[in-house]
Amino acid sequence: MTWNLEELRREFPILQQQVHGKRLVFLDSAASAQKPRAVIEALTTVYTTAYANVHRGLYSLAEAATAHYEEAREKIAHFIGASDPGELIYVRNATEALNLVAYAWGRKHITAGDRIVITEMEHHSNLVPWMMLAQERGAELAYLPVTAAGELELTALPPLLADGRTRVVAFTLMSNVLGTIPPAQELTAMAHAAGALVVADGAQAVPHLPVNVQTLGVDFLAFSGHKLGGPGIGALWGRRRLLEAMPPFLFGGDMILSVKKHSATWNELPYKFEAGTPAIAEAVGFGVAVDFLSALGMEAVQQHEQMLVAYALERLPEVPGLHILGPTHPHRGGAVSFWLEGIHPHDIASVLDSEGICIRAGLHCAEPLHARFGLPASARASFFIYNGTDDVDALVAGLQGVVKLLRR
Amino acid sequence: MSDLYREQLLEHYHEPQNYGVLPEADVDVQLDNPTCGDTIHLTARLDPEGRIAKVMFEGHGCVISMAAASMLTEDVVGKTPQEVAALELHDVEEMMGGLRLSMGRVKCALLAVNALKKGLRESGRL
Ligand SMILES: Cc1ncc(COP(=O)(O)O)c(C=O)c1O
Repeated sequence: MTWNLEELRREFPILQQQVHGKRLVFLDSAASAQKPRAVIEALTTVYTTAYANVHRGLYSLAEAATAHYEEAREKIAHFIGASDPGELIYVRNATEALNLVAYAWGRKHITAGDRIVITEMEHHSNLVPWMMLAQERGAELAYLPVTAAGELELTALPPLLADGRTRVVAFTLMSNVLGTIPPAQELTAMAHAAGALVVADGAQAVPHLPVNVQTLGVDFLAFSGHKLGGPGIGALWGRRRLLEAMPPFLFGGDMILSVKKHSATWNELPYKFEAGTPAIAEAVGFGVAVDFLSALGMEAVQQHEQMLVAYALERLPEVPGLHILGPTHPHRGGAVSFWLEGIHPHDIASVLDSEGICIRAGLHCAEPLHARFGLPASARASFFIYNGTDDVDALVAGLQGVVKLLRR
Repeated sequence: MSDLYREQLLEHYHEPQNYGVLPEADVDVQLDNPTCGDTIHLTARLDPEGRIAKVMFEGHGCVISMAAASMLTEDVVGKTPQEVAALELHDVEEMMGGLRLSMGRVKCALLAVNALKKGLRESGRL
């Protein structure tokens, strides 16, 4: 055990409650993670001691708020291995970060005949923005296929890069359905060698394993604070050179340097991309969540979740008619999707809910991936730092109950 | 184990009433719920006064959607198209034995009744 689980759980007030008279077994952190007390208290502290709009006030309260807001940015940038906090832009969530790139970078650089490469395992938020861009520009959208084992078909990439038409390769660093961790460094090297940029969707990877933009070599990284224990906020990291050459995404206050009646100039990075009053307290809370994970150590976080995945992969097949999606080796992320013969995933989730167990059921915002596996939907259990083998045991017992109740 | 999955509901799910396709139907409609992959094919015949005489369904989906469809095929017999059009979530919950559905399951329960409404509209009965 990497840390004392009972002690850690006590840091998460929401986990202390009971649901339908049962211990809350929260297995849906891939959708959004629960918040440690430190993050919750940070929000209260901002609002009770240091709240004012940032970058505007000349009074000390505004200066304090701005300092906290910028300090968090530095911590978050450092967390993903970025040395320049000006490259880290606060956004609402990973979805907004990916849209920002598809609009601001994509609409400047993608023209008719260009190719955009994504993968079959993308979340809709790293898929539909590219689809729309391709349609608008008359570009081609190509998919790297997913194998039956849930890995990327890497041999399909070189042919897509060979003609020099591919401008961008966008892929997830961890599938939110399969748990697959694609070989990001390898993909990035191949894309770069062909002159294409790399957009990494870190929504699932950043909360669960060490992510370093320098070692990965990617050009953009999108991720969400709320999935790593922070409030409802997200971030985009991008290379300064690229961000500087991009037009703003949203226009208005704060992102501006000077406005005349018929012209305007843009503020420096990162403010150029932060139009309007940002989520100030949320940014501070994001920084605290990052501190919380850093104190545990991301290697330890990954190790803990791999232990849980290994245990789940061992125990889940005890449930008759259960099929696991994605890799069956433990070198994968803590999102474990599965289906049960003859039982709809919605029913699995509803029955488990009556046992206090929270799982996700449906398409998990990855419809093309489910189509790839010929499934109308699936069920997903996902792990985070506060989960333990007792949660897996509860899940397996719950699923046995589902089968007993619903299968004839 | 679960309040939602009471015996009456499970019986309708495991042994659905009026399962199949009605020949020479006045209403023949297909409706899907793409977010969860539930699909229903519903056929119905009306009597000379224009009331629902018989409804049959086939499809696949979760317990809630299939049990609701089965129950609906019994419940709507004798109703006018206008009466069907007026059916709301509350009525479906009553029909299902006074269930209280969570927000996420409402769509499942309404699939069959929405299909019937759609079919009645498309066949010019509404
Ligand atoms: C892989 C992946 N990408 C993107 C997203 C979108 O994140 P958000 O909903 O925070 O924008 C998610 C989560 O929903 C995800 O799992």
